[in-house]
Amino acid sequence: MWLTLAQAVDGTGLSQWVAATYWLWPILEIIHFIGLSLLLGGLIIIDLRMAGHFRRFDPQATHQLLPLVIAGFSLNLLTGILFFFGDPFRYAVNIGFQIKMVLVLLAGCNVVVYYLKIYPQMRSWGADTRSPVNARLVAYTSLAVWGGVLLCGRLIPYVGTG
Amino acid sequence: MFVWLENTQVAIWVGVSLWAYPILLAAHIVGLAIVVGIFLIRDLRLLGLFTRLQPAAFLPLSKLAWVGFIINAISGILLFTSQAVTFVNNIPFLLKITAIVVGMALAGVIQSRLRGELAAVEGSVAISTATRSIAAVSLTCWLVAIIAGRLIAYL
Repeated sequence: MWLTLAQAVDGTGLSQWVAATYWLWPILEIIHFIGLSLLLGGLIIIDLRMAGHFRRFDPQATHQLLPLVIAGFSLNLLTGILFFFGDPFRYAVNIGFQIKMVLVLLAGCNVVVYYLKIYPQMRSWGADTRSPVNARLVAYTSLAVWGGVLLCGRLIPYVGTG
Repeated sequence: MFVWLENTQVAIWVGVSLWAYPILLAAHIVGLAIVVGIFLIRDLRLLGLFTRLQPAAFLPLSKLAWVGFIINAISGILLFTSQAVTFVNNIPFLLKITAIVVGMALAGVIQSRLRGELAAVEGSVAISTATRSIAAVSLTCWLVAIIAGRLIAYL
């Protein structure tokens, strides 16, 4: 699947531009790192509060951080796509990249569960409401999966084709 | 001194071992996400965003930020040993370390303000210009740390 995508991307104008523009790669990396800080920072607060920690934060108020999380994710999706265009065959066969993408997909499924099951019930939470098991499960899954995304992403240059 | 450091057993292990360097880098990015993630949001709150988050609620969260900082201090020092001479002559590296030192010092200042003048702040109650300025400098420091850190490999 990734190879098919790499073949489709290879040779396009965008692919050639990313590969040939020497200053672009470090700039994309910087944006990718700032994006991950926004994404993870927001999730640390939202998820840990959802799991019942740091109770001085109002549970509903933490949802004010969702736009920041989405902004971080969007930055990283965009820069990530450009990375793939810049070096399609290196990413397509890379086991770190492949696991990372599966984990991002898993995180997406977890968001759906959060949105359908946890978000509605959190509206009635007060400062002392005990965090239900399903909320804690979704919260810790989110943090674990995103932690895995970070690790796999950072290891891309060091792992091979698996 | 840095030449000596590069030749210690630890430095050689970091440089030679197949997995030491990537594992330290992986730990370093987890720590980065924790420290910078938490401090960026705290600073944005003090600058007037996310008004429903109570500033004082960031006090216990700063302990977690410290955990991230310690992860990165340890992994960072180990990474440093393997190429100490190169790093101490690298401008982005020196800039990154300066930004982190200032950022951590300001974190201490902000902590004391969270305990003091900000303890009672709720909702969109005004935050003093002095505190906002400190938050703006802190935010800049963490962005500079990321930018300079990434540029170490390029300049």
